[in-house]
Order: sequence, then C-alpha cells, then structure tokens
Amino acid sequence: MLRKLKNSLFLIYIVLATFLVTLPLFHIIFSVFINGFPVILKAGLSFLTETLPPPGEELAGIGPAILGTFILTFLSSLIGIPIATLAGIYAAEYPNSFFSRATRTLLLVMIEFPTILVSLFVMSIVVLPMGRFSAIAGAIALVIVMMPYVAVYTEQALKSVPERYREAAYALGLKRKQVVFRVMFSIARKGIVTGFLIGIAKAAGETAPILFTAGGAYRTFFIGLDKPVGAIPLLIYDLVQQPYSNYHEIAWGSALILLIVFLAIFIPVRLSVREVKL
Amino acid sequence: MDKFKISLFPNISLIFGIFALMLIVFFLNSLPSIQKFGIELYTTNVWKAYEYEHEERYGLLAAIYGSVYTSVIALLISIPLSIGFAIFVVDFAPKKIKEPLIVITDVMAGLPTILYGIWGLFVLAPFLRDYIMIPLYKTFSYIPLFSYPPTGYCYFTAGVLLAIMVTPFATAIVRESYRMVPRIYKEGAFALGLTKYETTKILLKYIKPAIVAGTLLAFGRAIGETVAVSLVVGNTFNVHPSLFAPGYTISSLIANQFGNAFIYDLMPSTLFAAGLSLFLIGLSVNLLGLQYLKRWRYA
Amino acid sequence: MNAFEVRNLRVSYDDFEIISGIDLDIPAKTCFAIMGPSGCGKSTLLRTFNRLIEINENARVSGIIKLFGKNIFEIETSELRRRVGMVFQIPNPFPHLSVYENVAVGPKFNKMVKNKKELDKIVEWALKKAVLWDEVKDRLRERASNLSGGQMQRLCIARALALKPEVLLMDEPTANLDPISASKIEELIHELKKEYTMVIVTHSPSQASRIADYVAFLYLGKIVEIGRVEDVFENPKHELTEKYLTGRIG
Repeated sequence: MLRKLKNSLFLIYIVLATFLVTLPLFHIIFSVFINGFPVILKAGLSFLTETLPPPGEELAGIGPAILGTFILTFLSSLIGIPIATLAGIYAAEYPNSFFSRATRTLLLVMIEFPTILVSLFVMSIVVLPMGRFSAIAGAIALVIVMMPYVAVYTEQALKSVPERYREAAYALGLKRKQVVFRVMFSIARKGIVTGFLIGIAKAAGETAPILFTAGGAYRTFFIGLDKPVGAIPLLIYDLVQQPYSNYHEIAWGSALILLIVFLAIFIPVRLSVREVKL
Repeated sequence: MDKFKISLFPNISLIFGIFALMLIVFFLNSLPSIQKFGIELYTTNVWKAYEYEHEERYGLLAAIYGSVYTSVIALLISIPLSIGFAIFVVDFAPKKIKEPLIVITDVMAGLPTILYGIWGLFVLAPFLRDYIMIPLYKTFSYIPLFSYPPTGYCYFTAGVLLAIMVTPFATAIVRESYRMVPRIYKEGAFALGLTKYETTKILLKYIKPAIVAGTLLAFGRAIGETVAVSLVVGNTFNVHPSLFAPGYTISSLIANQFGNAFIYDLMPSTLFAAGLSLFLIGLSVNLLGLQYLKRWRYA
Repeated sequence: MNAFEVRNLRVSYDDFEIISGIDLDIPAKTCFAIMGPSGCGKSTLLRTFNRLIEINENARVSGIIKLFGKNIFEIETSELRRRVGMVFQIPNPFPHLSVYENVAVGPKFNKMVKNKKELDKIVEWALKKAVLWDEVKDRLRERASNLSGGQMQRLCIARALALKPEVLLMDEPTANLDPISASKIEELIHELKKEYTMVIVTHSPSQASRIADYVAFLYLGKIVEIGRVEDVFENPKHELTEKYLTGRIG
C-alpha cells in the first residue's frame, strides 16, 4: 500500500516537474508578445529605423541598436569564426597531443565562463588604451564569447565523420590539408554550420560582454569602428533601469525583435540537428 | 611535426594566450586593492567610495555572500526539477512529445539572457512578491528566513530566475547520462518486482557522478550570470539571512558599479578583485564539473 | 618483376605488435590474396603498402618495402598513394559528392588534368573500366549515396582507377555485399589483373582460390604459408594452413 502510494506520488512529481521546467519559456514568450507587439504596432515600421526618443511619450525607434547588433555580430563572426574553426580542426585532427587535450578542456571551460569577466578584460586591454568605448572593443569581447562554441562544434562535427572517408581521401593521394578542407569539412558541414549559427546567435544575444566595451549609442547611427555602438540586448538593459514608461515600452518592443531574431536563427538549426550544446 | 599542424598552431596559441592574459590582467588589476585592504577585502561588508584615496574602503563580502546565496537557492530548486524532468523525458514521455520537450529546454538554454532579465523584472518579481513573499512574510515574519519586508527584488527572486535559467543545462546532463544507463539494469530492477519509483531510485544512484557534474556546472552558470540577476536582486550592500532581502552578487556588483568606478582610485581595482574571485570560483567549479562528467562518460 | 618486395616488416600500435617480421614478394600483374582469420593483421599489412597506416599517430613501422625496386618510405606519400590505389571493406564513396565528382576528385586534387574535357575523359574511362558506366552514365550528377551497395563499391574501384595506379589494394572488397554484387566484383578483379597488380585481403579461402594467382596465409602477424594458389590449396605444407582451409580456424 505504502509502496503504491509512493509510486503514485513519484509519478505526479515528475509530471509536475516537467510542467514547471517548461512553463517559464511559454510565459516569457507570451509576456514578450503581449507587451511588445502593441508597441511595435503603435510605432509602426519606423520602430526599426528611427533613433531613440527622449523620455516622455514618444516611441520613435531602435534603428541604431538593430544596426549595432548587426555590425557587432558581423564583425565578431568575421574575426572569431575562422580562428575558432581552425582551433576546432586542430583539436579534431590531433586528438592525442597534449595541446589538443588541453585545448578541448580550455574550450569547455570557456563556454561555462562568466561573460561579464570578458567585458572587464576587454575594457582594460582595449577600451582604456583607446580612451573610449568602441564597436571594435565590443566585437572583440563577443569574439571571445563565441569562439569556444564554434570550435567545439567544429571539433565534434569533424570527429563524427566516419574514419572510412578519411582513409579514402588519404588513399587517393590527397594531402592532409586537402583531406581536411575538401573532404572532411564538406562531409561535416552541417555540424560545422550549426556551430557557426550558435556562435552568431550568442554574439547577437549576449549583453554582459558588451556592457563595458561597446558603450551604446542610440541617438546616432553607426559612425565608425572606433566609436561607441549600440546593440539590442544592451539597449533593453539600459532602458528597463530607467524610470520612464515609454522606455519600458520600447524595451518590450526590442525584446520582441530580439526574440524573433533568436528564434529565427535557433529553431531551424535545432530542428536540423539532433542535439545542441549550449 | 607536419606543416599543417604548425599552420594551425597560431590559432590554438591565440586562444590559450587570451585565457592566460585574462588571468594576468585580473590578477594585476586586483593587486592594488588586495594590497591595501588585505584579506578584509573579501571578509568585510563595506563600500565607502570617496574621492580621496585614504578615505576609500571596500569589502566584498555582501557580493560574495549574495552570489553563493542566490546560486544555492537556484540549485535547490533546479536540481530536483532537472532530475524529475529528465526522468519524464527518458522513461515516460510519449514519443510525440519527447522531442518537443527537449527542443523547449534547448531553446531555453540558448535564449538571450536579457529576455529572462526583462521578464524577471516586470513579470516574475511582482508575481513572487504578491503571491509568495507577502503571504509568507505576513504569517512567518518571526522566522529569520522570511523576516525582511518584501519588495520583490531580492535574493529569492534572483534565485528563482537563476533556477529557471540553469535548469536546461543541468537537465541536459542528467538526461544524457540517464538515457545511457544500460537497459539490463532497468529490466533487472523490474524483474525483481520493484515499482517504477524504486527502480528509478536505484538507477539514479548509478548516475550519481552525472548529477554531481550537472550540479557543479549549473552552479558555475548561476554564479556567473549577470544581467538577469542584476535586474532583480535589488543591488544593495547587504548580508542578510532573509530570502526577501535585497542584495548584490559579484557579477551584478560589477555590472552596476564598473561604469562609474573610474572616478575613484581603488574602486576599479576592487571590482577586478571581485572579478578575480569569480574567475577562480568559476574555473574550479567548472573544472571539477567537467572532471565528473568525463569520469562518467569514460567509465 | 616484382611489384612489391617486403623484408622483415614489423608494425605495432602502442607497443602491441600486429605484424611481426614478414617477408614476401608480390609479382607484377597478378592477383595476390592475403588470407587469414580476423585479427591476424591482414588489413594492417595491406595499409603499409600505401603507407595509409601512418595516418594513425600510434602506428610504428619498421622494415623494407620496395615498389618496383624503390623503397616506398622514400617516395612522397601522395605520390605513392597515387601509384598504389585502394578499395575498402565498406564501400565509401564520399557522401557529399556526386557520382562524377567521386571519380574526378583524385585526378583533380592531384592536378593530373588540365581542363574539364580531360577530366570528363578520365571519369568516363574509369567508370567503363569498373563496368559501371552503362548503369550510371545518366546519373552522373546524382549523389553517390543513391547507388546500391555493389554499385558504390564499383564506384570506389573507378575512383581508384582514375588515378592510373600501378597497383590496386583491396581490403575485403566483397565482405559487405550481397552474393550477386560480390560475384560482379570478382569478375571485375579477373579483368583488372591483366593490367594491374592486385593485392586482395580476404577472410574467405574460397574467394582466394577463385580469384588469386598467389596466396599468403597470415596468422597472428606472421606468414604461415605462401605460394601459388594451387600449391597452397592442394598441398598445404603446414598443419595450420590445412586447419584454416578446412574451416577449423576462423
């Protein structure tokens, strides 16, 4: 009797746990839509193109933040993806060397690493010497954040290619470089591209790394790599901490845009591969 | 050494170099503050920011206390839920909802943290205040744990928000290892006439290292999380036992104070020292967690 | 003329010796079968002939192997592998490439052709040589993974032939095929040995007797018996060989 009771309680518990674990996502999406959609509807298309209004009634737009996110993501991908991909190739191609094992551990540690520390680090080595916040500093911080994801994905994608294709490529007289880039890389491309996209999604969505690096600029559009630049997550973070209700509305609208951007990158990626590591 | 290997080397060195440089930068920048205040930097709760150096005094205890407090709350909520969810997905979920459930947690794991932040600030905190904290405070305010008049922005809200954020990571680790438990153990337990509950209990013992790993890695994530926490934790120098008291965490302290730290002599260094402690805590917890994970995977 | 001369060959992985001192000669333009039970080292031996063994960082090779009189360890690996083609146990056409590209990949990356026309010619020639042309000439742009197992294996043979090799190594080329596809491959081997030196690893004595001119019986990393097929099969000199041929070791 007691055993049966325990068993039933257990079953109730795991169903309840499942419900509680998944509920927040739906509520977050629901809240962002409920609060963000009317804002975008009210502001119209100019929400995407106009600059931030002064505190008060106006909504205007978040154009500079959208452009800034695009620039930061593009720049950091441009720098980070090639380096990280090559590092991933190293870890996959020379799995037994000491350096390779150390690299794998380091990459996994860096994935788990508090991103606010990256912000502090880049501030002290880039922002302080340059004398101001800049797009390039923000991009460097995001490079450090995104690289481990891209590298780990590349490594695992290459490792999942069956050995027989590697052997076949070598048996045709291909050189190591050709084997890796022309054969292994193409066969593993799905996993590798997944890594790129996860890295890009991270760069577009992170707030902490750009907190003390990008600086934020919402009333002017992009004016140069060495000048401050805004970003959607950073804008939301700034706006919600101010007491103005139109800023809160704009924050919700921005959150909706960020959510849509994220889901647009992430859902197709997630559905095309069996597992992701974040 | 072949040419190809050598040509890849700069990339590896760059990543190692960045990491090493980071450690050095944090260490060097922390030095002035550590030299000035000694061990008291980490054991006292003071924050006297004056423009004259000899009057400045800082102690990071409130932030360290808050980081540990909120992370522990997060784990206490998250780990049991993660295990329950993992069991449901692996053993009980019908095929049709199994994959969607995993997709949901993956989306949660990748969701930009600022979205948790804005939701925590405007939705979760008021909800917890009105429906959980105020009732508890009204009835149990004589218990220290519930003693602080709730505003909604406190350790508890931060802990709950962190729990929501780290559960996808913890449950993924538990789920993967639970899934890999050899069938024969499960069948063997059923053959003994054990109930599902009793069987599961035995199997959970089998994957204990993975649960430990999940707990450690979740702790590492929780303690490093910044923007979402800083929006709900209250940002107050406080070392208070109550769940409902506002406080600081190391990362929210940095996020909040670093922007204007440079007008003071020792504040930047103090914040780097805070970062250094976070660096070291994070590094050791994560290395330990990865170690457990490895032991499990290659056992 | 010998295609391969092997003297005192030893191969080990992580201090575990797989091949322990082998001497053998493989005459040119014959079919030479290496047979033996699984784990005897025959695949490892085959992989030393084109130095494919070296892609494993833990492998150590010592001894001498000469290809038409020249020490293979002094030939650049990519040149050696061009001259010594290989076909594997599991048909492994590159899944991301088309039928055409699979055959073209070798000549292209080894810079054997100057233009598309020459490449087309080689591809057609190799596919005809592998008796696959008629079946795939209208499907050259399709993914190689759409072919049947037997077709894939002949595609792999065409891919190897496209490099115009002197020797063709085959590692249990029919082990993963149905009997009909397997017999097609065996027929093909009969044809090819007129022009190429064929070295084939097999775990089946009956296959060795059907296709080979010479045979070596390998057991625990050593050659137990070697000679013309009819001699070894009709008058095995060694008790182990007899046991193996009658199916008592396997």
